[in-house]
Amino acid sequence: MDPNERKYANKEITVHWKPSTCIHATTCYRELIEVFNPRNRPWINMDGASTERIIDIVRKCPTDALTYEWNEDGKVSEKPPESGLSKGSRLEEAKDQPAEIRIMKNGPYVVEGDFTIIGSDGQGLKQMLMISFCRCGASEEMPFCDGSHRIENFTNSCD
Amino acid sequence: MDNNSKKKAEFRVLKNGPLQVTGNFTLKCSEGKVIDTKEMIFLCRCGGSANKPFCDGSHRRVGLRD
Repeated sequence: MDPNERKYANKEITVHWKPSTCIHATTCYRELIEVFNPRNRPWINMDGASTERIIDIVRKCPTDALTYEWNEDGKVSEKPPESGLSKGSRLEEAKDQPAEIRIMKNGPYVVEGDFTIIGSDGQGLKQMLMISFCRCGASEEMPFCDGSHRIENFTNSCD
Repeated sequence: MDNNSKKKAEFRVLKNGPLQVTGNFTLKCSEGKVIDTKEMIFLCRCGGSANKPFCDGSHRRVGLRD
């Protein structure tokens, strides 16, 4: 378990946040800044939108960094491991697909599909089906994004 | 060469420089607009290029360090 895992709840659901799993794809805060705002503390405001809307965005998280569960017994439950499986199977479909590079507004390059990465030392890096590369120059996890583009106020978009 | 005969995409991190991409890949903006590219591209990693998303050599001026 991620020791930095955090939980945020409203009356109906609890959202789980695993920072070590986040690839900073920026999907959550681009689509629902009222709830997911990295500049605020806590960064998730569960009163910022309806439960349905929050669930909708949590499901769009490309990794298991964001998951949710219902608080009360008797409701249809989606525990974090289950949502994780569904996301995993979606990523499995990315296998054998051409790599798609997405230039995120004010954020990293998010790559999904079948690809390999060669590090700056010429060695192959860990294999995965989705990753985000830093494009602001400030990450401390080079070549990957660590979210530093927000601190740097990096702005660029081709939309 | 059509897409099917292309090799799996390869991302090569050039030390203190751009990200070299070859093989079977597509490049898109956040909202899905496709950007036409050559078969090999160099993507800016330092944030300083005036020709984003592509590298223009600014990493030397910016002092990008891996």
